[in-house]
Amino acid sequence: MIRVLVADDSRVMRQIVIRTLRQAGYEWEVREAADGEQALEAVRVDEPDVILSDWNMPGMTGLELLRRLRQEGFETPLGFVTSEGSPEMRTLAEREGALFLIAKPFTPEAFREVIEPVLA
Amino acid sequence: MSTVIAGDDVYAIAEDLFAAMVDGEPGTVRPWTAPVPDWADPVHAWVDLHGAWSGRAVVTTERTTADDLARALLGLPADEPVADEDLQDAFGEVANVVGGNVKSLLPITGTMGLPQVAHVAPVLPGSSVITQVLLDWGGRALELTVRDAP
Repeated sequence: MIRVLVADDSRVMRQIVIRTLRQAGYEWEVREAADGEQALEAVRVDEPDVILSDWNMPGMTGLELLRRLRQEGFETPLGFVTSEGSPEMRTLAEREGALFLIAKPFTPEAFREVIEPVLA
Repeated sequence: MSTVIAGDDVYAIAEDLFAAMVDGEPGTVRPWTAPVPDWADPVHAWVDLHGAWSGRAVVTTERTTADDLARALLGLPADEPVADEDLQDAFGEVANVVGGNVKSLLPITGTMGLPQVAHVAPVLPGSSVITQVLLDWGGRALELTVRDAP
């Protein structure tokens, strides 16, 4: 079973992401982190198979989380789930090593379109 | 430099937000055609955008509507009381999604702040309204405003 870490400072958004994963047919084992620091610590304790992270979080942003993970040697696949889905953001995310970027608002179909090719 | 953000684009953002995140199906919002509401107990949620263009995206509605939004986002039953913490989170996330999508419309890069929620309208001195959209969500009014900071 795929284990995912969902990082977002909004509990509402974490719930929506988890709900959407289920609606998209992904019965993954889910852990949650309320900010970048918590996410980093969660990865150190038990590295998940994939991370879904918000971009804009207090303290450590999603981008900073990605950079810290890579600096610490974690190659965990990471995708951003963010309200900022401009071409510039997608390019930046890709350049920094994110596997994908899902823009809010998203549908279960949008999740599948982005995640399926990554799983393959 | 003047920045144009079309009302139609903001309306489209709202349509997508409600269809995807709130109601799970399209067609639940339409333009508000009644007189502009005189808010009795408003709640405001906003995000600030900074960069070559600076401004603010604000979502305003009645507390009761914001509670309904929070219930829809959290999957709570219709009569479940909404805790302040959940209201701040849910309504703030609505502003976050609106603001992030407005930011994506801009031709220039910048940063976006974290959402804030208050019962008093936020003041941005010297700013002007560049776009304002009034929505009808099942008979409930929501106002989306984009302000241009000086």
